[in-house]
Amino acid sequence: MNGSVTVSLVGVGGQGILLGAAILAETASLAGLQVKASEVKGMAQRGGSVLSTVRFGERVWSPVSPHADVVIATELLEGIRGMELLGSRGTMVCAATTRITPGSVLRREEEYPDDLAGAAELRGVRLLAVDAEGIAREAGTLRAVNVALIGAASTVLPFTSEQWHAGLEAAVPAKILEVNLRAFELGRAAVATQEVES
Amino acid sequence: MERQLFFSGNEAIAHGAVRAGARFACGYPGTPSTEIVETAARLEGIHSQWCVNEKVALETAVGASLAGVRTIVTMKHVGLNVAADPLMTLSLTGVNAGLVIVSADDPGMHSSQNEQDNRAYAKFAKIPMLEPSDSQEAYDFVAEAFALSEEFDTPVLLRTTTRISHGRGQVVPRVPVEAPAREYARDMSKYVMVPQYARQRNRVVLERLEKLRRRAEESPLNVLEAGSSDFGIIASGVAYTYAREAFPKAWFLKLGMSHPLPYAKVARLYEHVSRVAVVEELDPFFEEQIRALGLPVVGKEAIPSDGELDQEIVFRALEPYVLRKPPRRRRPVMPPAPRLSAPPQPAPGLPVRPPVLCPGCSHRSVFAALRRRKLAPMGDIGCYTLGSLPPLLALDSCLCMGASVGMMAGFNKALGKKAAVGVIGDSTFFHSGITPLIDAFYNEVEGMLVVLDNRTTAMTGHQGHPGTGIQPDRAQGPAVDIQRLCEGIGVRCVTVDATDHKALDVAVKEEAAAPGLGVIVALAPCVLMTRHRAGEVVVDDERCNLCGLCVDIGCPAIAPGDGAVAVLESCTGCGLCVEVCRRGALSLAETVEC
Repeated sequence: MNGSVTVSLVGVGGQGILLGAAILAETASLAGLQVKASEVKGMAQRGGSVLSTVRFGERVWSPVSPHADVVIATELLEGIRGMELLGSRGTMVCAATTRITPGSVLRREEEYPDDLAGAAELRGVRLLAVDAEGIAREAGTLRAVNVALIGAASTVLPFTSEQWHAGLEAAVPAKILEVNLRAFELGRAAVATQEVES
Repeated sequence: MERQLFFSGNEAIAHGAVRAGARFACGYPGTPSTEIVETAARLEGIHSQWCVNEKVALETAVGASLAGVRTIVTMKHVGLNVAADPLMTLSLTGVNAGLVIVSADDPGMHSSQNEQDNRAYAKFAKIPMLEPSDSQEAYDFVAEAFALSEEFDTPVLLRTTTRISHGRGQVVPRVPVEAPAREYARDMSKYVMVPQYARQRNRVVLERLEKLRRRAEESPLNVLEAGSSDFGIIASGVAYTYAREAFPKAWFLKLGMSHPLPYAKVARLYEHVSRVAVVEELDPFFEEQIRALGLPVVGKEAIPSDGELDQEIVFRALEPYVLRKPPRRRRPVMPPAPRLSAPPQPAPGLPVRPPVLCPGCSHRSVFAALRRRKLAPMGDIGCYTLGSLPPLLALDSCLCMGASVGMMAGFNKALGKKAAVGVIGDSTFFHSGITPLIDAFYNEVEGMLVVLDNRTTAMTGHQGHPGTGIQPDRAQGPAVDIQRLCEGIGVRCVTVDATDHKALDVAVKEEAAAPGLGVIVALAPCVLMTRHRAGEVVVDDERCNLCGLCVDIGCPAIAPGDGAVAVLESCTGCGLCVEVCRRGALSLAETVEC
């Protein structure tokens, strides 16, 4: 799409979607690209589905896009929901072990969907299913699920390791930078391993 | 001969309202609107009150309309600026019993700081507008306005100007209209304007506007009056009377229902005459719309854009155009029906994830207490608006910032009892909940207001407000005490620890039974700020029969499990589920803070 790349971050309010988007935006910006980003705040923050979009390239006009090249999902159901943003050449990077059960499912009015791989196949998109929770725990905090996924997604985005580190340093508050750098590297390595295995 | 009365327009509106079955009149005094409520106050069968300002007056009127009685609310043109917040969303919710808003404009600024043309509000809010041109029409149009309001489920703007409101003329009284009270039925998707419902209502409004346009085409209030010349004039209100006197031979399209504009009727005038002028005071409101149809028209190049008109001004302005060579006849280009965006399609088969109140949120405790009292909770804007969604279903309305108080007041005043309760957050209370509380005290409302004081502006991300004294840089500034403020007004007020479910329930019960007006401050800092874990909820699998009472409080941390409910990791131990359980299946184990 005119040489610009669209990354959408989806998840549940409170999961650090905005920080994830900020890291991505800083990284692209420090890499010398034009960046536009948008998100919906306010009522959506209270445990609802959230969507944040970052677009970068030589020239970016619109701050939003109904389609994404890469979707980063910090929660399984939101990952399945986010499939519809992707075209057939898109990539879904999803926290496959993170489930936040919505009220309607808790009350047994609806069923939580399980088949992430099936949804990806149906859509014909590439799937990077990541145990982001496991990675975040290993890095030192469960709150780093978002950054672990950024690490995983970094393998399909056009930035160098140095550029990512610069982006992380610019966006992440100093006192939690170290643990997030660890989560990023572990996420990045996890995909590399997955690639070798498959 | 028929009995005739000699009324100012304002007197005629008040009498017309009573004749139309209105039972509630309120407003804020402002020239030239004041005498409507003053006159109503002298009439039988209608309750009249002054409100603290126009915003509160409109919110009070909305409460009375919801309670089921036809209601008229009055203000001067600049007053509608103050009431614009409720107006713009009232267009979305619509009404229960008919609701007529009188805006009395003041061209020439006899007694005003500006001469804004409030016809723009009809367009802005996408609501119908009626403009009487004398006292008889002022009297008659009120009944038309109420009928339109109920038929199309919309507030109706009745717009006058100084010469209509303060001009006098004969009025022939008409047979009273039967307007039985309309029972209130709670309907969250109509009255609680959270985004998901408001998006649906917005589509209703856009479709309603086109239906109203079709009505305006047929309405006898919009009259094509035959003349004997080749000159036609489009006008409304007092400007029509000036033009009529200045050009007795002209054809006229007299617009009584002047928004939305009946395009076809406008075009029909052009079939009879080759030259058309628009005579209107202030803005080119009709003129712009007529030019957009591609029709040639004489307007503001001749008629002054400021001040009042009269027949001399109109005659002198238009005389040169009457004899001028007519413009080439053109066909109108009718605007196509406006398109709506594609309705949102949720992904099939996937559970929706609306925003929810957090686990341990103290608002939930208030909702649980209110639910037991069978009061209609009028809500406001903040996190607690989420209490309107399933499974809590704990709020009946959400209109605009601060509306809970005035709506509660109007609702209860109309029914003469404590039928509704206001629910407002601490920051919203400071934003615009204080003036309506003063109003409710002044108007001797039987009512209750619960201030959900979580010590922050939570929904937008925990900003400070005057009740906390917290500044944008988190510095501590002076803080206002809500209870002392209420007591200063003269309103009974208690502060209750909102984490103490029993105490809260008792306070709500007592206040519901007490006469007069009272405020309960339900105090507990936002759980997102404290991250406080009060204890651990333990489930007795033997006693739990999965009745669902605890699940119905809408806490994301408790869910039906296999054989018994399960408590999730996100539980803060607030204990509300323990409180609502009737089988003693849940208990709270103390945890040691580390």
